[in-house]
Amino acid sequence: MNDKNSSLYHWFDERLGLDEIIAFARHKTVPVHSQSFWYYWGGIALFLFLVQGFTGILLLVYYRPGAEAFESVRQITFNMHFGWLIRSAHAWAANLFIFAIMVHMFSVFFMKAYRKPREMGWISGLLLLFIATLFGFSGYLLPMDELSYFATKVGLALPNSVPVVGPFFASLLRGGVEVNDFTVQRFFALHVVILPAIFLPLLGFHLWLVQKHGNATLPSEESKPAAERKSIPFFPNFLVKDLAMWLISLNILALLASIFPWELGKQYDALAPAPAGIHPEWYFMSPFHMLKILGNWMPGATGEVVGMLLFSIALVLWLLIPFYDRDSSTARQGRIAHYFGIFAVAALLVTTALGYWGLR
Amino acid sequence: MNYPFWQVPVIGSGWVIGIIAIYHVMISHFAVGGGFWLPLAERRILREQNPELRNQWRDHLVRHSKFFLILTGVFGAVSGVGIWFAIGLTQPEATSTLIHNFVFGWAMEWVFFIVELTTAAVYYYTWGRIGDKLHQTVGWVYAGASICTLVIINGILTFMLTPGETWLSVAGTGNEASKFWNAFFNPTYWPSLVLRILVCTSLAGIWAMVTASRIDGDKYPEMKTDAVKWSVRWLLPSFVLMPLTMIWYLLSVPESQRALLTLGMDTIGYGTFSQVTRMALVIIITSATIVGVAYFIAYRNPREFTFSHAVAVLLLGLIATGAGEYSREMLRKPYVIGRHMYSNGERVSEVKDNNLKGYLRNTLWLNQRTSLHFAQGEAMFRGECGSCHTLRGYRSLDRLLAGRDRQSVGNILQMLHENKPDSPYRRFMPPLTGTPAEIEALGDYLYYQSAGDVKANQLAKK
Repeated sequence: MNDKNSSLYHWFDERLGLDEIIAFARHKTVPVHSQSFWYYWGGIALFLFLVQGFTGILLLVYYRPGAEAFESVRQITFNMHFGWLIRSAHAWAANLFIFAIMVHMFSVFFMKAYRKPREMGWISGLLLLFIATLFGFSGYLLPMDELSYFATKVGLALPNSVPVVGPFFASLLRGGVEVNDFTVQRFFALHVVILPAIFLPLLGFHLWLVQKHGNATLPSEESKPAAERKSIPFFPNFLVKDLAMWLISLNILALLASIFPWELGKQYDALAPAPAGIHPEWYFMSPFHMLKILGNWMPGATGEVVGMLLFSIALVLWLLIPFYDRDSSTARQGRIAHYFGIFAVAALLVTTALGYWGLR
Repeated sequence: MNYPFWQVPVIGSGWVIGIIAIYHVMISHFAVGGGFWLPLAERRILREQNPELRNQWRDHLVRHSKFFLILTGVFGAVSGVGIWFAIGLTQPEATSTLIHNFVFGWAMEWVFFIVELTTAAVYYYTWGRIGDKLHQTVGWVYAGASICTLVIINGILTFMLTPGETWLSVAGTGNEASKFWNAFFNPTYWPSLVLRILVCTSLAGIWAMVTASRIDGDKYPEMKTDAVKWSVRWLLPSFVLMPLTMIWYLLSVPESQRALLTLGMDTIGYGTFSQVTRMALVIIITSATIVGVAYFIAYRNPREFTFSHAVAVLLLGLIATGAGEYSREMLRKPYVIGRHMYSNGERVSEVKDNNLKGYLRNTLWLNQRTSLHFAQGEAMFRGECGSCHTLRGYRSLDRLLAGRDRQSVGNILQMLHENKPDSPYRRFMPPLTGTPAEIEALGDYLYYQSAGDVKANQLAKK
């Protein structure tokens, strides 16, 4: 496309203004410093989302929600040519997607990239993470095998324990008092229509904010004179590296999907006892285990209610951090926010590890 | 059964070799490819017209050759000895066969090792102390010695996959060493040599990218661009020739041993493909990624090529190399020496006798602290299964036999014992040998192990 003499390029340029786009991309720069590696994670998350969109559309061709849900997934996995690969890639990409967003979120946090004027980027990013976990939760039930059925039952205990509105939302999601075929219909609608309809515009907004404000640099770099700060043009230098990262992500995804294909368990039986060691997906393990701990400490439903309250408060504080630690002039707030971040990472890791340890 | 068993819990003894071998291959192949990279780079700088760039290149080469000496001379040499130590413990019968057959091959190999280690040290310590021409000659002597080590070890490694009809015709007669050259230049020798040389050039380029990434691109932009781009070009021969060489290699493997791969390819659409096919996929995907990443990150942006980028390429190289070695091992299944010795160290020629007279007839290694029945089952497990399986870990029998009753465990053992042509296990598992009583003891041992520690303890005390 660099050959501006080509008539094809001119044809498109006249209609789409390609020169302006390239000039804009060349003008945009990305800071270079010791922590530049973390800039790739937003792009990696975006790539994994695109993979999910592509594989999800392919799965949609054969998936049948409702009473035939399990049978259709069984056909996709064992009868359709390369159906196993598409399903496996979709499931692995979903997990890697949430992992990439989490890494992106914590890197943004510790690089203080939420500070003025990037508050909206932080909030929209957190909302995207929240929707991504809902994507994961709603997609997990769709095969309707034993594991997904009972894990969803356990997972719905989380919203159910939210005071006042929790039971209503849990019932709304279930479509009744128990998880059943209606639940699959609802989760399917949520997974392929409602969530994408919210996610896509929000993603567009988030990306627009990134374009508008550019990549934040480290506070230590900000204090340097402009002449000493290093940066590279977004186009083509950073973009080419970003593409390489996408390639590595695709490689890792392909390896996981082909070496460890996503399993399909037995068809669910609502009357059968839950299999031993049932638990939600890894990204819900931390709140799940915290509720378990508090449930053991406090009598009756008090533990769950207190747990959900604590969790909600922590999330609100996390969301509002840009309004506490506003800019580099408030060193004390910056330090406290930093310790809060370390505490959050440690709490997530420890409770997740304890959760899995308890399953042994 | 002439040797004691070396049992490694959780990962199994095979992975002890595997871990050391994959790590060693990354370094040993660099030792060969890098051996050519150094004198060729030196020749390049001697021809360089720009004196400033020449001096910068020279400083870089001094640093690179120090890194090269430490990595190959210390870590490469130690891990190389580690492999032989580990295979001696894990596969004593196969190691014994190799020693008896290739003792002079090894003697030559060690001579070249000594030349290699000496010249690598001389090369580094004589920068600026001897004439350029002589220094370059030292580099070429190193390169010659290192390629000779590959030429020799390649013969021994490929022998294990395809010993060839001539050697097999004398196997077990005591005259095996008389067919040394037939065993050495076996059917997969040449394709494997070309394949390994390509891996050597790639790893020379990848490791050179690691050291080139340390050059300050702001201070020495021309030098860094030159060093990074030149290192990336070393990946080019592999990119072009590797697919063809792999096909050549696979076509040289006997049809019976290729069966696992072809079976996997036939069923790939349904996702039931074999492990070796999965590993072949890993090699193809990762090799293509390495080339793509090297092009995008290094070749297009040499000045901004950082150490973490280089490590990413190196890790991808580690995955591809690991998968390559794993596939090679898997292709050998069910043998450790093709059509001569099974992967559990039992010779093909011994199967009949073991079935009639007993697998444990010569063993000196029965557990004396438990009942005889338990000890026999345990010895059968260690001898016949332990090379590839663990009780509770990698390829664990605990998991594979979970949910089966005693009768069902017995049925599987019977199927493995009969080893009929239509048996699904025949392509990758050796036959289970032994008298009915020994197989009964193995069945009890496995059943009670998978049924839980309490029952296992009860059996041990019976």
